[in-house]
Amino acid sequence: MFKQLSLWKWALSGATLAFVLIAPLVDAANTNQVSKSSDDLENLTLEQLVNVQVTSVSKKETDLFTSPAAIYVITQEDIRRSGVTSIPDALRMVPGMEVAQINASQWAVSSRGFNSQFADKLLVLVDGRSVYTPAFSGIIWEIQDLVMEDLDRIEVIRGPGAALWGDNAVNGVINIITKSARETQGTLISTSFGTDNQSITSLRYGGQLSTNLFYRVYLKYEREDGFDNTMGNRMPDGWDALHGGARFDWEPTLNDRFTLQGDYIAANLGGTAQFPTYNATTLYMTNFSGVNPKSDGNIVGRWTHDFSSSSQLTLQMYYDHSVETDAELKSTVDVYDFDLQHRFALGERQDIVWGAGFRDSLDDSPASFNLTFYPQKNYAQIYNVFAQDDITVVQNRFHVILGTKFDHNTYSGYELQPSGRLLWTPSEKQTVWMAVSRASTTPSHLDVASRYNQSTFPSAGGPVLVSLFGNPNFQAEQLLAYELGYRFVPAASWSFDLSTYYNVYDDVQVYQMGTPYFEATPVPHLVVPETAQNALSGESYGAELSVQWKPVDYWRLTASYSWLHMRLVPVDTTAGDSPQNQFQIHSYLDLPHNIDFSSAIYYVDSLPDQNVASYVRLDLGLSWRMNKTWEFGVFAQNLLDSGHVEFGSFRTSQVTEIPRSIYAKITCQF
Amino acid sequence: MQIRPYIKKQSLRFGMTEILVAVAVASALFCAETLMAADTPGASETQVKAIFLFNFAKYVEWPATAFTNATAPITIGVMGTDPFGDNLQHDIEGKTMNGRPFVIKHLATDSDLSGCQILFISDSEASRMEEILDKAGALPILTVGEDEQFAQKNGIINFVLKDRKVRLEIDLAAARKAGLTISSRLLAVADVVKGRTN
Repeated sequence: MFKQLSLWKWALSGATLAFVLIAPLVDAANTNQVSKSSDDLENLTLEQLVNVQVTSVSKKETDLFTSPAAIYVITQEDIRRSGVTSIPDALRMVPGMEVAQINASQWAVSSRGFNSQFADKLLVLVDGRSVYTPAFSGIIWEIQDLVMEDLDRIEVIRGPGAALWGDNAVNGVINIITKSARETQGTLISTSFGTDNQSITSLRYGGQLSTNLFYRVYLKYEREDGFDNTMGNRMPDGWDALHGGARFDWEPTLNDRFTLQGDYIAANLGGTAQFPTYNATTLYMTNFSGVNPKSDGNIVGRWTHDFSSSSQLTLQMYYDHSVETDAELKSTVDVYDFDLQHRFALGERQDIVWGAGFRDSLDDSPASFNLTFYPQKNYAQIYNVFAQDDITVVQNRFHVILGTKFDHNTYSGYELQPSGRLLWTPSEKQTVWMAVSRASTTPSHLDVASRYNQSTFPSAGGPVLVSLFGNPNFQAEQLLAYELGYRFVPAASWSFDLSTYYNVYDDVQVYQMGTPYFEATPVPHLVVPETAQNALSGESYGAELSVQWKPVDYWRLTASYSWLHMRLVPVDTTAGDSPQNQFQIHSYLDLPHNIDFSSAIYYVDSLPDQNVASYVRLDLGLSWRMNKTWEFGVFAQNLLDSGHVEFGSFRTSQVTEIPRSIYAKITCQF
Repeated sequence: MQIRPYIKKQSLRFGMTEILVAVAVASALFCAETLMAADTPGASETQVKAIFLFNFAKYVEWPATAFTNATAPITIGVMGTDPFGDNLQHDIEGKTMNGRPFVIKHLATDSDLSGCQILFISDSEASRMEEILDKAGALPILTVGEDEQFAQKNGIINFVLKDRKVRLEIDLAAARKAGLTISSRLLAVADVVKGRTN
């Protein structure tokens, strides 16, 4: 049922609406248009013609068809029509991805297994900046946020992308790309409000400072109440976040492009946790329920120079400062990163990419009884070089791609991550690709030197404390992946994409129990130590099938199925952390009068390890583009069920149900 | 070891005030902008390429032998699957350039090329490209393509998609061989990959 919308939210929406109604009247001189007619194009000079942004790129479809990897691209249209409001929610539509919402703000996202709140086998980049935290591995999804309307696309590659992309691209790479400043000119105001008091308001303005210098600035505020737990009680996981940033794109010559962008997000996330603490006489579990502030600020600079149409150099530097808090845990991370990449054609048959990079990170976490890092302030560096050669053996028919990354990180030393791929395109309608790759994860500070007091319980001899210890000899986890894929496009209206894989894992982390011992401080207790070891190995295999059908011009259907089988020995700690079967169907229907109707059904298999049952989810979206300025939308998620659990949490035993939700959205652009 | 106090419960209340401030900042920025240079927002790839074909007639000089008389039409031949949809008919056919009307012709692979001044070779002819370009090479025809190897195979102007914009690669040597003169204005906005004399 709809929850009562509070008075202040009506006032907020009213204020936004007032601005929105007045501003276009003020904007009489602005002649910004979304697309040009041919008459307008004819009047452009040559210099202007070479700068027109093309909105439908036919070559991109060709690139995806002949890509020797399991790649899926989420477009801006997919995001707009499905009404997803966050990156993890958008990732649900990718076959082979496991996305589980933990509570109102937290997510467990992984690819091809190993899902957890801090799944560490995924490389996630936002405009080239890695958002992986080196302190304890994983992605803090709750502070990765963007103005969804300004997202150009999200490229998801399942499987190892280490040779080209880098560290921790073990099970996948997610490349989130925003539109350039030139593509987001003018004002955009969008506000949405819905159940659980969810509201999102985004303001963006894009302008031009000179012929070739474009910019945009934005501000976004969103909030949501907490969800209910399985007993029907409201959980304190409500949250809000304020987010702002700017981007400048400058093209001083035909061959140079500069980009400077920066963002800052400050979020307050409610959470609960149970962890051990002490008093004068004993250890006991305590409950935390409160607000955890988290923030991230970053600045990214990039220069792309075209030496010729077949040689391009890119230099990128960024600085990222983030603060993560969870009850007693607090971690401040600073990352400085520099990357160089050069692409060039060598003769008629080879396309070479090579590069080098350096990342310096500092993580600073004040000690608490719950978690202590050694040392508190820790520096870690990663140096890397990589190269890839795409060899055309037979023009348009057979390619061999060989690449490798060679890096050195502070914790585990040298790693070599080679990859070999074959691409065979027997006809314009079919492609077969094969890959063998090696990838490794970089250990985190937590893995190597930390003490995490996880839980305590009383016993006849006094309190017992279960403590997880980092291991200074902890090595990188290894993956050897064999992949085989097939794409078939029998006609313009049908396409099939099948990806299969067989992964062999080694040196996978598990905490192994050691000999218990007595500790006197703060009160005498027995410590049951568990130390991080590279003691697991195993295999996984699976397949992802995606079918796209466009029966008529105005109706597109996409269905996908993914299957995962995983087994680790000697103890399968991940069994049942990822669903074995997933299935989804999406329908995008264009109705007359610029109305779009979209629907999606998802089936996600159970997670026995997490005590999570399988579920079916139905999402519907209806949007109406009234004219060039106004767009209205109504979106419903999880319609079939008042709430279901998608994942457990390592911090608390109280599990949240993800509820049915409906929201309405108004967008104004001019 | 002392008990560390819980992190103080901060409440950043981002309420109406902050939003109105943001709105005010946005409108101030908007009002402050004084420079409104001509912007070139989006169009479809085929629209842009069609307009380029139209422009090539303006910035390329054919030898007198290419036309039968002063008012003979400029013929654009499209060889292979036509990627332009109705853009060519819609935007170009019927218009005139220097007193010559445009005519669009669709050609089969073995057609006689001598009637064309501009020959657009579609991607579908990739396997026969070298053959076609050899035939066209000695004739006064401006060959245009959209294939990676086009300039390598002596095609004169190649469309390349770079960063979502349609860019041009020009083989000046092939242009000279065909007896064509390309205006420096067109050369300035293109990447001359072969035949640069200076």
